[in-house]
Amino acid sequence: MRQPLPLMSGHMDFVVLGQQIVNGLVNGMAYVLIATGLTLIFGVLRIVNFAHGEFYMLGAFITYYIITLMGVDYIWAAAIATVVVAGLGILANVLFFWPLRKEHEFTILLSSLGLALLLTNGGEVIFGADPKYIPSPFSEEIVELGDIFVTQQRVLVFGVGVVVLVALYYFIKNSTMGKMMRATAQNPEGAALTGINIRKVHAVTFLLACGLAALAGALVGPTAMIFPTVGSWAVLKGFIVVIMGGLGSIPGALVGGLLLGVIESLGGGYISLGFAEAIGYAIIIVVLLWRPQGLFGVARKA
Amino acid sequence: MTNRFLSILAIAVLAILPTLTGSSYLHHLMVLWMIFALMALSLNIIIGYLGELTFGHAAFFGIGAYAGVIFGMDYGVGGVAALIIAGAIAGLFGLVIGYVALRIVGPQFAILTLGFGSIIYTITNYWVDVTRGPMGITNIPPLSLGTEWLTFTTAKQYFYLSFVCVVIFAYVLHALVSSRTGRAFIATRENPQLASSIGIDIFRMKLLGFVVATVVAGVAGALYAHYVKVITPELMGLQYMSAFVIMVIVGGRGTIVGPIIGALIYVGLLELLRPLGAMRLVIFAALLIASVIFLPGGLVSLWRKVFYRRGSAGDVAKEA
Repeated sequence: MRQPLPLMSGHMDFVVLGQQIVNGLVNGMAYVLIATGLTLIFGVLRIVNFAHGEFYMLGAFITYYIITLMGVDYIWAAAIATVVVAGLGILANVLFFWPLRKEHEFTILLSSLGLALLLTNGGEVIFGADPKYIPSPFSEEIVELGDIFVTQQRVLVFGVGVVVLVALYYFIKNSTMGKMMRATAQNPEGAALTGINIRKVHAVTFLLACGLAALAGALVGPTAMIFPTVGSWAVLKGFIVVIMGGLGSIPGALVGGLLLGVIESLGGGYISLGFAEAIGYAIIIVVLLWRPQGLFGVARKA
Repeated sequence: MTNRFLSILAIAVLAILPTLTGSSYLHHLMVLWMIFALMALSLNIIIGYLGELTFGHAAFFGIGAYAGVIFGMDYGVGGVAALIIAGAIAGLFGLVIGYVALRIVGPQFAILTLGFGSIIYTITNYWVDVTRGPMGITNIPPLSLGTEWLTFTTAKQYFYLSFVCVVIFAYVLHALVSSRTGRAFIATRENPQLASSIGIDIFRMKLLGFVVATVVAGVAGALYAHYVKVITPELMGLQYMSAFVIMVIVGGRGTIVGPIIGALIYVGLLELLRPLGAMRLVIFAALLIASVIFLPGGLVSLWRKVFYRRGSAGDVAKEA
């Protein structure tokens, strides 16, 4: 109605494209939040944490229960859930990953797989297998960016994602703890020799990573249904992003996550909704044929 | 000597096992044990002998299942030919994926194979024209070797079929491990730099092991599909993927007996825990964690600890 007719079709194509890209960027930001935690734990501690997606699931479910059982506002519920799950991350580290730090990497990977199975199935026992919906006041409100429509919730996902990533960047770059984490990433023994408290670095890394995953769960939760097996979806997406971006690289997680989101969205919009995911994966194969270690990764060659 | 005696004894015991009971339920569990043992043995080539963790093995199981069934039902290629085609197609996928993925090692390789597994899962889920999508394929006809009396219908018959496959494959594996190629595998696992310095082509060795493992996974998948008669893309999902890895690790990687015991533990324990209802998988996961932490060499290492005390504890225990 608003546009003159002759321009209609060309303009509409453009709007549809813009809409797809915006949707893709929002989905991609959620992938970035998940993948950043995964890549942080690997980069600093050399741990592949299969249970990472479960913290995403816990973030979403704890938000849901705080809202429905305690009647707290969505924003506060999301913040509390993030803090609680970050605490659970430290707990998982103390009970699980810290005692295993000297074991073979297979042992760590497999026990994290065990932890993932434990949390998923435990979640199913406690929360029930039926999907739940996190009520958010932002889900209904629409923001108009020109001709492109986005819900406030999706703007929130993107906005909070950007703020958190910028904060994380400055934390790792400038704070003492951030420097300690980078030193540990480069050489754990050397870092310990200079008096860095490796135990604390472990704890903080898990705190940040699990907090990020929970935040992603709390933010993305209201845009879709949540169920206890959502963690394996999250960890799978996270892993795909980190293989594309390069395991251990935060810029890689950022670029990889946004790229995957946009590719999936465009693939779903223009080619086939069903094959959207497969198209994302196909791009990854091409990337990996060219750079097996990922876009920003450093290869560990045989 | 004692080993040979023990293996013959084990084969004899297994061969008469189904005749000891008339319960078709127990027969069913035995078939699952044998098919999963075949899977675990093949996965063990990659985990135990090549020393790389893979999370993509369930995908090859699924490829074999789908290839066998689709060729059998849509193109009329039945019987042993379907099993061979299933193995060949899974192996072809293994060759391509291995060629890309085996360039990197360690956790990156594990995650990369997980990615490839998800690609295959997703395609199977959405390529409805060929795979019938998430609903899966039902009413799969029984495996037939041509004539009427060589058609496999009962659980007992499938037990013997898969049992024969396990024995043949275990023997081939035993021969392989004691051969030059097998020693090259182990050298590659223990010290890749040293292995390549004495002229072992590491990449080719790994690719060879990977392809052999995927071919066998394909055959196991086709057997499973014809036995249970219903397949869905869930065969390639996270649950089967973790199940196979669990069997190898809990049983004992880098051994031939280990994965077979691991498959028995997996099938048996899940059945024993069935009365617990929803808590079943929670307890199962806890047991997995405990066994990975306290028995990194698997149950087989326990046997070694008891009977050999120290000294000859074998390469797996040393590595762990």
